[in-house]
Amino acid sequence: MAAIEDFFDHPDAIGIGDKVYVMDPSRCIGCNACVQACTECDTHKGNSMMHLEEVDRASSTQTAPMVCMHCDDPTCAEVCPADAIKKTEDGVVQSAEKSRCIGCSNCVIACPFGVPEYYEEFDMMMKCDMCYDRTSVGSEPMCTSVCPSQALWYGTIEEFHATRPGTLSNEFQFGNRLVTTRVHTVVHEPGPLDVLLGRSFEPSVVSDPFGFDEIGLPEVVG
Amino acid sequence: MDRRALALGALAAGLVILASAAGSGWFQWFDTALAGYLFGVVFFAFATVYRYTVWLRRPPTAKLHARGWEALWHRGDRGRNTGSLLGLIVRNLFLQDFIWKRSKSRWLAHQTLFWGCMLAVAVTFPLTLGWIHFTSVGQSARTYETSFFTIPVLEFDVGGVIAWFFFHALDISAVLVLIGVFIFLFRRLKEPGAVATTRANDHLALAGLFAVSVTGLMLTVSHQFLAGQYYNFINVLHALTVMIGLAYIPFGKLFHIFQRPANLGVKFYKRAADEGEPQICTECGEGFASALQVGDLKDILPELGFDYGSDDGNWQDVCPGCRRRLLARSQSLRVGGFG
Repeated sequence: MAAIEDFFDHPDAIGIGDKVYVMDPSRCIGCNACVQACTECDTHKGNSMMHLEEVDRASSTQTAPMVCMHCDDPTCAEVCPADAIKKTEDGVVQSAEKSRCIGCSNCVIACPFGVPEYYEEFDMMMKCDMCYDRTSVGSEPMCTSVCPSQALWYGTIEEFHATRPGTLSNEFQFGNRLVTTRVHTVVHEPGPLDVLLGRSFEPSVVSDPFGFDEIGLPEVVG
Repeated sequence: MDRRALALGALAAGLVILASAAGSGWFQWFDTALAGYLFGVVFFAFATVYRYTVWLRRPPTAKLHARGWEALWHRGDRGRNTGSLLGLIVRNLFLQDFIWKRSKSRWLAHQTLFWGCMLAVAVTFPLTLGWIHFTSVGQSARTYETSFFTIPVLEFDVGGVIAWFFFHALDISAVLVLIGVFIFLFRRLKEPGAVATTRANDHLALAGLFAVSVTGLMLTVSHQFLAGQYYNFINVLHALTVMIGLAYIPFGKLFHIFQRPANLGVKFYKRAADEGEPQICTECGEGFASALQVGDLKDILPELGFDYGSDDGNWQDVCPGCRRRLLARSQSLRVGGFG
């Protein structure tokens, strides 16, 4: 006789297991494939939850992709007045429950990563749910499946170390607040990523790769 | 247990009993066959007010609650706000056009569920509380007289259209609810996105509505087609499903019935916020959100144990776009540069 668990467990529900989502913005080439692929996700079909920002187009080709980082203690859920944001047992912070969200935008403003978006026409918030329709049944998210530079990557930690340099961190320092997340990023040395350090970013290496500015070539343009 | 919530809940329960007494001529016209339902309604009132009071105590909810009323009653805006409030009640609470924009089939399902339940509430609550009762006029039993709050208001022929509607109103509401339940169930079983995110609570709400509607319809089947066979058993079954359902509403998915009206408060809060100063991002200097709402969040976050402050200012003063850009920059720095 089949065990009672077999009756209740969905045959496809193998879940996320020991897979991790890795976001490495330094590798992003800004191709927009993830933005397009995201619209295919069944939980928000037709709307892309992917953020892709140019950092400072005049001086750098750096682009900034952003997915939901799935915080262990999500700020969005805590500031939600309607208890509309829930985290599943496997650590995925779900998009707003449609019946509960009252469209106040508290989560949009408070999320330290700038992830949730308020959709005026639907009068509710929507955000990345790590393609829960796919990851909950063992597939990888749409965005990682199309990312050509592996800036967005999905797999086990062992696979990561076997195929890529760098170490993983899921700790982010925002001033006095340390946020730990389910999604990881890549760093050279272990330890939390101090996000405020981004202010000291000097784009000169990229804008003047041959050092022409320093040797003082005469102005020929402009 | 929250003492204030307990007290307010008990007060609500007391008011329901008082309303029942006042409407039924101090229980002279109270239908004792419905005593179980009255108990269900009294508990429902208690539990709903209890849960609502506890909900309002959460810092973000308390802030929004205060801000919503403040914006609505703001001196100088009352005329305009009253007009928009009426429009919002019709559009958001009754026609639910925001669901129409999300999905037409979900809107249809929600509307049939909503109006089915509204009709059922309009019929059963006054009956249960003893506010409405029927008496036959004269000896013929061809004419019924309806009394509301013990005052006769309407006479009707038992074979007429009005009578048919009175006797079958709950069948109509059951059919409406079942249409909604089946559309929602179909969606939850077939739509991949819904399948992935459905929780037990979603099915429980549908199961409850299904059970109440079907057992109610079975009563009609019993007396119309089975000469009253099994009527007593079905009657007990139906009463049980209703009482369990009433007890479930305040603690399950259907509590959104009472949460959703807060959306109207949000509308006035957002409008007041938009008419005030914008919040300027400390990184890019562009306006984002409203200074009012960002200020409110900076009040709430420490209460929740979140400190986004630092020597270089508060992270909450940075716009979402700059937050994303700064994260990418800091990460690139940690791996020795971009590219």
